[in-house]
Amino acid sequence: MSLIINDLTVKLYTDFKKKEFFNVADSVSFGVQNGEIIAVVGESGSGKSFLGLSLMRLNPPYISEISSGSILISDSGGFEKVDIVKLKENQLSGVRGRLISMIFQDPNVSLNPVIKIGEQIVEAILAHKKMKKKDACDVAIHYLELMRIDGKARFNSYPHELSGGMRQRVMIAMAMVLEPAVLVADEPTTALDVKTSLQVLALIEKMRFEKNVSVLFITHDLSIARNISDKTIVFYAGQIMEYGSTEDIINNPMHPYSISLTKSVHGLSKDYAPRERLFVIPGTLSQSDFKSGKCRFYNRCFKKTKECLNEIPLLKLSSGRFARCVNIQ
Amino acid sequence: MDNGKDSEVLSINKLSKHYSGYGSLFNFKKNIIKAVDNVSFNVYKGDIFSIVGETGCGKSTLSKLILGLTNRSSGEIFYKGNILNYNLKKLDLRKKIQIVFQDPYSSLNPKKKIYKIVSLPAIKNKIIKKKDALEHSMQMLKKVGLDENYVFKFPHELSGGQRQRISIARSLSVNPELLVLDEPVSALDVSVSAQILNLLLDLHEKNDLTYIFITHDLRLVRHMADKVCVMYGGKIMEISPVDKFFDGPLHPYSRVLLESILAYGPKNILQFADAGNININNINAATGIEKNNRGCVYYNLCSRREVQCIKNEPELKEYGDVQVNCFFPYYSSV
Ligand SMILES: Nc1ncnc2c1ncn2[C@@H]1O[C@H](COP(=O)(O)OP(=O)(O)OP(=O)(O)O)[C@@H](O)[C@H]1O
Ligand SMILES: Nc1ncnc2c1ncn2[C@@H]1O[C@H](COP(=O)(O)OP(=O)(O)O)[C@@H](O)[C@H]1O
Ligand code: SF4
Ligand code: SF4
Ligand SMILES: [Mg+2]
Ligand SMILES: [Mg+2]
Repeated sequence: MSLIINDLTVKLYTDFKKKEFFNVADSVSFGVQNGEIIAVVGESGSGKSFLGLSLMRLNPPYISEISSGSILISDSGGFEKVDIVKLKENQLSGVRGRLISMIFQDPNVSLNPVIKIGEQIVEAILAHKKMKKKDACDVAIHYLELMRIDGKARFNSYPHELSGGMRQRVMIAMAMVLEPAVLVADEPTTALDVKTSLQVLALIEKMRFEKNVSVLFITHDLSIARNISDKTIVFYAGQIMEYGSTEDIINNPMHPYSISLTKSVHGLSKDYAPRERLFVIPGTLSQSDFKSGKCRFYNRCFKKTKECLNEIPLLKLSSGRFARCVNIQ
Repeated sequence: MDNGKDSEVLSINKLSKHYSGYGSLFNFKKNIIKAVDNVSFNVYKGDIFSIVGETGCGKSTLSKLILGLTNRSSGEIFYKGNILNYNLKKLDLRKKIQIVFQDPYSSLNPKKKIYKIVSLPAIKNKIIKKKDALEHSMQMLKKVGLDENYVFKFPHELSGGQRQRISIARSLSVNPELLVLDEPVSALDVSVSAQILNLLLDLHEKNDLTYIFITHDLRLVRHMADKVCVMYGGKIMEISPVDKFFDGPLHPYSRVLLESILAYGPKNILQFADAGNININNINAATGIEKNNRGCVYYNLCSRREVQCIKNEPELKEYGDVQVNCFFPYYSSV
């Protein structure tokens, strides 16, 4: 296992003075094997990005804190083990980028608008590796080319001179350039066209087969989860709702939320009617759904009963398959 | 309204936008990027006109040109027969065309509360009074499936999908006639996307709206659009009715695009790692045609190319109700 998350709880303060908060991640536990890809799927606002950011300890300071749990990361050889939660602030920079790296949903977060993209990647390399600048340039160009960007021609471009999709790929090159043990990819292909998206997914697959990288792949797109991942976590309002192999989750969802999600995808099936209205889960996910005391999905569930007005535990359905619902079967 | 469905709403004539941009690592001489190059097309009332193409092909630049958010290098844009000249500040025309941006992060003012953002265009265009801003924006949020309480929040307090819904609400708030949707759902999760697509279809039916729908998702084109316009390297490759396109497009590049969605499957993924051409973003330079301005932009990647294609540049030509920019399209007259 290169990543083991145990009982991770992250508080998000809505009013710091009054100490009002909700758990934006609530007792989250799972592990990722070496070279395994686990997808985290769920609607926007369900806390996926927060989970990803917390793994890097990049969750916004002051308004949020990791209140319990551990995040154990080890390199693929198993020589180095750290608990990210326990690290001091000044120890984090030695770990970020090298042991665990992240592709952010928002490219503006990690790209500096006033530095040329080539130089940004070179800086990232030189921060961790002893290398001649010339060689680092070559590595940077190589990784840009892996992302189908003309590395030589675009080396001196500023981020604003690139299209949205190109910026995203520069960021992916930057996250991969140090070949980390764990990669957190937060919606890396959301802004990309089909062809480039396929390419990026393929490159992430390649990294896991060749470099044994473990990947936590955050996405809202079930068809992408199906294409890339071995296992899937269905995430809602800070909690794992269902967990299992990706094929099982998509072909045979058990949790009412997973069932609803799979029904709202626009597909490419043969008997497909254009402009047919798609299935929509009633209501919206709001921050009050994160509050404890009842099933987080209660307000929008088609199967709810009185029994759902308690904290619902994650129940084992079969080997390797879990769901958080009292009304299955 | 009374001149029927076939009346022209937007007419683009030989529009170009050239950026003189970056120097490369080994060549500091300035390069010209033809983000949009000699593009012409018409959009008719009630159409959902989709524009597809891979990243960097000029889709967003084209939409910025239509909205007057960037200056054109040459060419004209007509809105219902009137030439659009944004330098003249023709506000009455401007509010008829609204845009929903691809990037929900940079398109919202971070310092303003949501209700101010959503109601601003409506106040500016005197559709509502300032004191009704709150009420109005709550209604708009409801329309796009957001909790009304979000009106008091700031953009950074919302997740990506929530922010995109805000920008859709904002552009709908002035009752536009033409909506340019630049990847409106690409940042949204499935369930919200379903909701927004249904909403866009409902609004389109009820309000006589015309859409220019920019996307890279061919599945969405099929779901939403009447017409599809394929772009590559700043140029139009093909304009076709959607059903014809999915039966078999005429341009070699369109074929490749269609195949790439059909090949989408778990076991197929790895094969794409080494496929493709790294010069895709640098099409003008890669083909070496920027010097003499001749030859087809798609030449380097094309499976049907002939000597003729590097010597001369093809132009958009009509084949029935399909327009194709290629010397050797997949077209049989039978
Ligand atoms: N301000 C700018 N300065 C220089 N070049 C630019 C600028 N904006 C865009 N470009 C270039 O113009 C071309 C087209 O960019 P555009 O943003 O229109 O692409 P797009 O088709 O919308 O791509 P995506 O699908 O990634 O959004 C690209 O080569 C890009 O690098
Ligand atoms: N910087 C922030 N400050 C305050 N609240 C935030 C911030 N970012 C996100 N949130 C809230 O935290 C919750 C989870 O958001 P996020 O992790 O971004 O969701 P996802 O990635 O699943 O779309 C949402 O209710 C969102 O409104
Ligand atoms: S526990 Fe109840 S409310 Fe929650 S998903 Fe199951 S049936 Fe629905
Ligand atoms: S003109 Fe020639 S090179 Fe261009 S797309 Fe057609 S066949 Fe290919
Ligand atoms: Mg997110
Ligand atoms: Mg764009």
